[in-house]
Amino acid sequence: MEEQDLDSVKQDADPIRQDNDFKTVNVGSGVRVEGRIDGAETADISGALSGTLKSSNININTSGSFNGDMFGKDITIAGNVEGDINSDEHIIVNQSADIKGTIEYSSLQVSYGAKIQGTLRHKGSVQSYTHQTNSDDQSSNGDNISENSQGEI
Amino acid sequence: MSIFGSNEKKVEDNTTFIFDTEKDNINQSNLAKDIKIHGSIEAKDYIEFSGNITGTIKSSTINLKPSSYVKGTITGDTVTIEGELDGDIQAKDLYIKSTAKIKGTIRYTNIDIQNGSIINADLFYSS
Repeated sequence: MEEQDLDSVKQDADPIRQDNDFKTVNVGSGVRVEGRIDGAETADISGALSGTLKSSNININTSGSFNGDMFGKDITIAGNVEGDINSDEHIIVNQSADIKGTIEYSSLQVSYGAKIQGTLRHKGSVQSYTHQTNSDDQSSNGDNISENSQGEI
Repeated sequence: MSIFGSNEKKVEDNTTFIFDTEKDNINQSNLAKDIKIHGSIEAKDYIEFSGNITGTIKSSTINLKPSSYVKGTITGDTVTIEGELDGDIQAKDLYIKSTAKIKGTIRYTNIDIQNGSIINADLFYSS
């Protein structure tokens, strides 16, 4: 009787494991992964991942390290990152984080103690802005567009 | 009579705090909103700045309030930024608040950034 019960439990458990509808990527501590991850919903990295990572939620845990480019919405970093971080929404950098590279963000929160070496870029703010008002740009479109493009180059 | 006596004492305490800075160990400077400076400010202890400066600020503790605009260089041990800055920052402890807008170069030992701040800058960490 007991063996039958165990078998039925296994049969119930297997289908859930086989189709992972949660779109979750989990790299455990001590595990190394190289390559490209795309289309994930949640990426939980406690091991070492190098390559490209695209996922809505990205967690680089304290023991985790990442090397390459990552694109996501909600990104939390507590481990080591070398490369580019690109977020459409919110980046949280914990105090144990060590980041080298470029961070492109919409909203950024950094805890006291975190190490960041590189460049911060805020999405939505014009990189080479001048103190001219918008009404000036609208008044004579053609000239100003060429001026702006020259300024940005 | 005793009440009057205590009042007089309080006034005296205030005056010593404002004018006799040698007796107090903390020197505090407060620069208001409508101040515009072209040049440099250097102080030993504490500067609270709400105005507009083109130049440099150097002090142990610097507080740039939400209305402040700085174009130039800021050097301090503890620097809190709530205003707008176009230039370089060098600080041991740097606190960037949600109202801050920063463009330029940041050199720091410890950094704390609040959600909402707009930063376009190069960061250099040094221990």
